[in-house]
Amino acid sequence: MATQGYYGKLLEVNLTEGKSKVTKIPDEDIKRFIGGRGLGAKLLWDRLKPGTDPLSPENILMFMPGPFSGLPIPSSSRTCVVTKSPRTSAMNSEFQNGSTVSYSNIGGFFGPELRFAGYDGLLITGKAEKPVYIKILNDEVTIEDASRYWGMGTDELDKIFHSEVGEGRWESCYIGQAGENLVPMACVLNTAARAAGRGGTGCVMGSKNLKAVVVRGNKMPNVSDLEKYNDLLEKVRRSFMEKNQNVISWRHGGTANALTSSSRGGTQAVKNYSEGTFAEIEKIGAEANREKIWKRDFACFSCQLACKKSGFAKGAYNVQVHDGPEYETGTMLGANLLISDINGLQKLIFVSDDYGIDIISVGNTLGFLMEAYEKGDIDKEFLDGIELTWGNVEASLALIHKICNREGIGDLACKGVKALAEKIGGNSSDYAIHVKGHELAAWNVPVNSDSWAICYATANRGACHMNGGSAGRQDSACLRDSLGACSFASSWYRGDLEYRHFLAAITGLEWTEDEFNKAGTRIFTIEKMFNYRDGFRREDDTIPEKFFVNKFTYGDHAGAIVDREKFTENMDKYYELRGWNKQTSKPDDDILKELGLGFTI
Amino acid sequence: MPIDMPDKLINQSCSRRRFLQRLGLGATGVVVLGSYGFNIHREPVTGKIKVIAIDFEKCAGCRTCESVCSSFNHQTLVNGKKLNGLGNPSLSNIRVFHYNPDIDIPSTCALCDDAPCVEVCPVEPDPVTGRKALYRDTELMTITNDLGRCIGCQSCALECSKRRAGVIKPDPDTGSPMRMCTLCGGNPKCVEYCPYDALAYIELDDDRDLSNLAPEKIAEKMIKKLYNPNQEVN
Repeated sequence: MATQGYYGKLLEVNLTEGKSKVTKIPDEDIKRFIGGRGLGAKLLWDRLKPGTDPLSPENILMFMPGPFSGLPIPSSSRTCVVTKSPRTSAMNSEFQNGSTVSYSNIGGFFGPELRFAGYDGLLITGKAEKPVYIKILNDEVTIEDASRYWGMGTDELDKIFHSEVGEGRWESCYIGQAGENLVPMACVLNTAARAAGRGGTGCVMGSKNLKAVVVRGNKMPNVSDLEKYNDLLEKVRRSFMEKNQNVISWRHGGTANALTSSSRGGTQAVKNYSEGTFAEIEKIGAEANREKIWKRDFACFSCQLACKKSGFAKGAYNVQVHDGPEYETGTMLGANLLISDINGLQKLIFVSDDYGIDIISVGNTLGFLMEAYEKGDIDKEFLDGIELTWGNVEASLALIHKICNREGIGDLACKGVKALAEKIGGNSSDYAIHVKGHELAAWNVPVNSDSWAICYATANRGACHMNGGSAGRQDSACLRDSLGACSFASSWYRGDLEYRHFLAAITGLEWTEDEFNKAGTRIFTIEKMFNYRDGFRREDDTIPEKFFVNKFTYGDHAGAIVDREKFTENMDKYYELRGWNKQTSKPDDDILKELGLGFTI
Repeated sequence: MPIDMPDKLINQSCSRRRFLQRLGLGATGVVVLGSYGFNIHREPVTGKIKVIAIDFEKCAGCRTCESVCSSFNHQTLVNGKKLNGLGNPSLSNIRVFHYNPDIDIPSTCALCDDAPCVEVCPVEPDPVTGRKALYRDTELMTITNDLGRCIGCQSCALECSKRRAGVIKPDPDTGSPMRMCTLCGGNPKCVEYCPYDALAYIELDDDRDLSNLAPEKIAEKMIKKLYNPNQEVN
């Protein structure tokens, strides 16, 4: 029998053979890696040879819910999409296709439904001969023809797909044309809005000729100590239902609340990260959206925060947007490009979601090209005649179309800023804002640089704003991503309501604070070892040159810059604290053994 | 993070008047609660009825209602103690349906005055109680099925889907009807736990349009209302 709270079942689909099977997940792995991101990382380590081409049939694409997924624990709907990244590359790897882990989690209802169907995870390998989708109805798993849906945007697909699949309420994840066209920064979406946005998950899915996964089930994972679990559930529900200021503000603006506050605080990506404050941010902030765009708030499974906002833009950019700007999309396609046309911003977001592309990476790439064009490092001809000036909505739209269809300049631009800087040459790599090939997100570095520089430089999927600015925060994030819990709700899970108490009630296993934190460290470290095995070293753990040479000129934080020596010092301290070699960044063997990762040595 | 919060959003209460103003669709989709001895299967009374009303503008689609319905109505014995179950949504009587353009529509048994499901039940009324296999409980006014007498013909489910919300579904194994609301014995858990105040236990005029209860019909109206491209340009 599997550990309580789990089925112990991994559904494996081989698209080359057109077959599926169910394999048992070893109890030992469940205890050590929990689920979601952690279990995904372990499977990635076990199944892939070093240097595997991320777009080859050998790469695996996993949809990994956690032990909380499917249980109505508030804000625990998340599913981690885990694969080997098509986005990252090391400075000096012996492998031509050396790349990092990719993990990207997605909310909604898909992960819970996968658990209702009776699985703790879905692992896809191989490559179908022609476009297919995977249909999972409890124990019945079939591979279906998807030629009718190939070429379809996510909005149209979302409107028709479920009713055509069959009776009942289905949940799905899918790619748009960007993933089909093997755009490296393509992502996986559900509900035409929620995205496993980062790390090229949609590109890997496209490389397998897999348009969608659709699932329906009527089972339920078991719980070891139902009385204790019910008690915890009741308490945490009640604490959300008190509707304190925190709940009210999440519902009011979601992460878009941070558009204005981050701008004031100098932590926003503005003008390709040249500034931390955007003078026109109020025009696209939460209040403006609440007034002009948003019509409804939407929640994921069992969530009381409802941070997703759907609305309607009027005028020239008449469009129904499934997730009006949140902090990342509003910054990357707004402030970072000096775009303050609120309706134009909705259009950019809608089009990107419809193609299924990572808005963080595409916004970052547009910002890079705008800077290169302004500096004269590229000319209009390089941009296929597009007048890509700051704040230009039409030019941004034109370029997004080219990127997602890989037309002209889009064929290169879709590979992101690292590839573009390599082509453009000169000093352009100084302002190519990526780490390990993965673009930075909407939080700018110089203000609070002690935290943000560590966060971006050491993230295992390449630059990642969710990574955490210290070892402790990083390990906590690993735990949340492995349980299926949402980081936005983590402040409700404190004291008697800590995640580990829920996990103990669910599994019947004791989870001391030390053991729980150690599991987080273990998960972060196995990802690190995966990257190390593929050739990533200390020199890859850095931040772009711009942050050391560019001073903010505007706002309360004018003059902010990152101190190079301080950064190096902080990184040394980070490696020391982790017990990693300062020259190579390799975790020491003793540490690996202590974490039960001796097999990675 | 620091937030700019208009005062109007704080202390947002759900007064009855405000709730009624927000309903927006007349009383479509309002679900009758046959409590307080109000006998709704007799001649319609001109007065008020106490109901669960669904505010379609407020539902955020989190499906908490499904979990708590399922937990309460499918309790389990552990060491001699009756505990709420795990909340498997597929066992819930209330269901939330999602549509694109984005709207979520909760749907649950409307306890229709005329109860077409009961009317169509072919099982002969019991000579003592007068009940068919499917009958209306005289205390709570809920629709109840007598499993011992049900023949699994699925007429009730068919009738509900043809004429009403299509809430009743046949059990895949026995054909007997499922998903009739129990009102959780008079204190509906879906109302108690709805995080968005989208469900309220409230007194209303019974002017429901029972022929338009299907979630897809309600979704269509709501989508027109919310995302109408012909709205005034700002």
